[in-house]
Amino acid sequence: MKKFILFIVQIIVTTLVVAILLDSFYTYVFLNNNNRNKIEFVINSNPKKYDVVFLGSSRANNHFDSRIFSNQGLTVYNYGISGSRLEESALLLKLMIEKKYLVKNIILEIDLNINSDGFSNGTRAMFMPYLKEYETIQNHYHSISNFNQLYYIPFYRYINYDSKIGFRELFFSAIKKKNSALNHEGFLPLINDQRPLVATDLSERSPKRNKAYEEIKTICKQNNITLIAMTTPICAETINRDYFNHIHKIYPEIYRMEDTVIDDKYFSTCGHMNEKGAIAFTQIVFDKFFKPKNKS
Amino acid sequence: MFFNSLQFAIFLPIVFICYWFFANKSRKYQNFILILASYYFYSCWDWRFLFLLVFSTLLDYFSAIKIERSQTKSGKKFWLWLCISINLGFLGVFKYYNFFAESFAELLNGFGFHTNPVLLNLILPVGISFYTFHGLSYIIDIYYGRIKSERNFVDYSLFVSYFPLLVAGPIERATHLLPQLKVKREFNFEKAKEGIYQIIWGLVKKIVIADSCAIYANAIFDNHNSMNSLSLILGAIYFAFQIYGDFSGYSDIALGTSKLFGIDLLKNFNYPYFSRDIAEFWRRWHISLSSWFRDYLYIPLGGSKGSKLFQIRNTFIIFLVSGFWHGANWTFIAWGLINAIYFLPLLLLNQNRKNLDNFTLGFNFSSVRILFSIVTTFCLTSLAWIFFRSKTIHDAIAYIQRMFTNQNFSPQYFNIERYNYEILFLIVLFTLVEWNNRLKIEPISGKYSSLKLALCILTILALGVFTDYKSFIYFQF
Repeated sequence: MKKFILFIVQIIVTTLVVAILLDSFYTYVFLNNNNRNKIEFVINSNPKKYDVVFLGSSRANNHFDSRIFSNQGLTVYNYGISGSRLEESALLLKLMIEKKYLVKNIILEIDLNINSDGFSNGTRAMFMPYLKEYETIQNHYHSISNFNQLYYIPFYRYINYDSKIGFRELFFSAIKKKNSALNHEGFLPLINDQRPLVATDLSERSPKRNKAYEEIKTICKQNNITLIAMTTPICAETINRDYFNHIHKIYPEIYRMEDTVIDDKYFSTCGHMNEKGAIAFTQIVFDKFFKPKNKS
Repeated sequence: MFFNSLQFAIFLPIVFICYWFFANKSRKYQNFILILASYYFYSCWDWRFLFLLVFSTLLDYFSAIKIERSQTKSGKKFWLWLCISINLGFLGVFKYYNFFAESFAELLNGFGFHTNPVLLNLILPVGISFYTFHGLSYIIDIYYGRIKSERNFVDYSLFVSYFPLLVAGPIERATHLLPQLKVKREFNFEKAKEGIYQIIWGLVKKIVIADSCAIYANAIFDNHNSMNSLSLILGAIYFAFQIYGDFSGYSDIALGTSKLFGIDLLKNFNYPYFSRDIAEFWRRWHISLSSWFRDYLYIPLGGSKGSKLFQIRNTFIIFLVSGFWHGANWTFIAWGLINAIYFLPLLLLNQNRKNLDNFTLGFNFSSVRILFSIVTTFCLTSLAWIFFRSKTIHDAIAYIQRMFTNQNFSPQYFNIERYNYEILFLIVLFTLVEWNNRLKIEPISGKYSSLKLALCILTILALGVFTDYKSFIYFQF
């Protein structure tokens, strides 16, 4: 039996050593790459200066065509992340501040993502490789239920989010395979159009005060960043457009832009505009907020 | 409580410590600890079904004594059939009632009588097919006088409910397991080490191979109407490896766990995808079930004695019943039927017991022929698995039809972030490891075992599927 106990100890030690080695290796690879997603693009970058930064979910990522702004000589980047919620947008902004980014304006897409204080598991996963290296991330996630496991158990964070930061992502990061999410200054145009459009149903959703949005407002205030929060277009077939009135009641400062582009031909799906729609919408946003006033 | 869960990782060491440190004085204590652990293990699924398990155990226990005590053949027969009827009755109600009711209603509807069948809203008790077959084998063995009835209820209960085999086998025989329960087990380091190796290899099969393949097999089977020929072929291959990794992985963990308690269970898999014909495949796949059907159905039906027509009838009965055992769906019956059809030429040409020996490969024509036979058998098996995996016969036929007629072999994009075609490398690597170790129980033992163990742990951690957790397929049977 003594031999068996030693054998089990050997297995436990082997598992621990393998987990520590894997954890170090994965973290090393993710810390030395900046072309797989927008989070590592920020984390593994030098200080930057931006006139305009876009933040939000896929409805920011697919709707704000950065090129419209950059063609006008503005430094701009679309940091919208598909699937993300305001919680992750807030954390990304905090990281930008920590990395000494100088941002003049933030355009924050805030519509369907204000529905709750929820989070995106997929986007949260992308912060996890940097959990031990960045105090900002640690503080942000300190209150989540499995923080101790994620922080202290070697390799647990990679196992817990294996579909996002598992072996495949490690492999692509190691070979520096570029992700299309980082093309066009962060703007991801949608090319294929779903026809007929399937209506987005907002009847089950109710906007609430959102902690992450409050946090973003505070950060912007502290860092002299002009925050422009706005809703973005959604197709005419959407059920319960009254949802947007509720947003406006809770946060009157949010600009209502959901009706600025309405024609079906501008939509890839009901909730997401195609490239044409994004260009049209971004032009409207640019004209409304950034076009130099006519001197005459 | 799944074998690959944290709960089991806590449960197993506790039972191990209690078994070897506190109950090591006598076999009675050992068996008592194991039966307690087994009932707890089973109640973790659903405690209400524990009553069914205990009832089934009591029924078989007392029926066996009654059969043995009966002075007349008719008396023995009465108790045997009473016990078989009640056992199969439970199985029928829980597993097959809705299927028969629906099929009967459909048949009547076909004749123009519109009926709405009364369906039962029952949950299938976990492992019912397995422990029912345990009990039946025991009763039949008693009836034929192959063994004496067991008078110690704890020992008999343990034979039926022993937790490593309770929910998905292997289907044990009283002649094999009961004698082991009648003696005190002494701790054997080599056996326990072998058990640990087998558990770890089982986890590799389940967490790395089966669950990775499952992600793609599910994506392809669930959307087969939009898949091209290449994807559908890959879907069939992925499912073939999913079900092999899943079930043989489970069996390895069960056998390995049992070895930790000094008890050997029946081997359930013997590298079935290296079979040279379908008869050999069935001697290597789910061995405990195949041999059960052979001994308790095929041979009593007359087996291979009698005319060819008689043999064909028996073969078809075995495969159809075997298919139906897996589940109440026409797809399983079709799967059994297809395997029977595969078997038919071998039976007619008296070739079904041709490939009994082990083989080695070299650089010669005979090796090419063996490899060709193995690949052909694998293709035939994978084709049959399509019926096993599909939700309906119609789906399976549509799948196969599209696979052969679509003729588009370009790679298709799957919106799955884990792997894509990289998974094929994993399958090839796994196949090579199994091939090189096909004469052993698992590939870890032997030379450089520590290194191989570390590699397996690394593989589980780095390539395992943890977030898209999949239950063991055979738990539903």
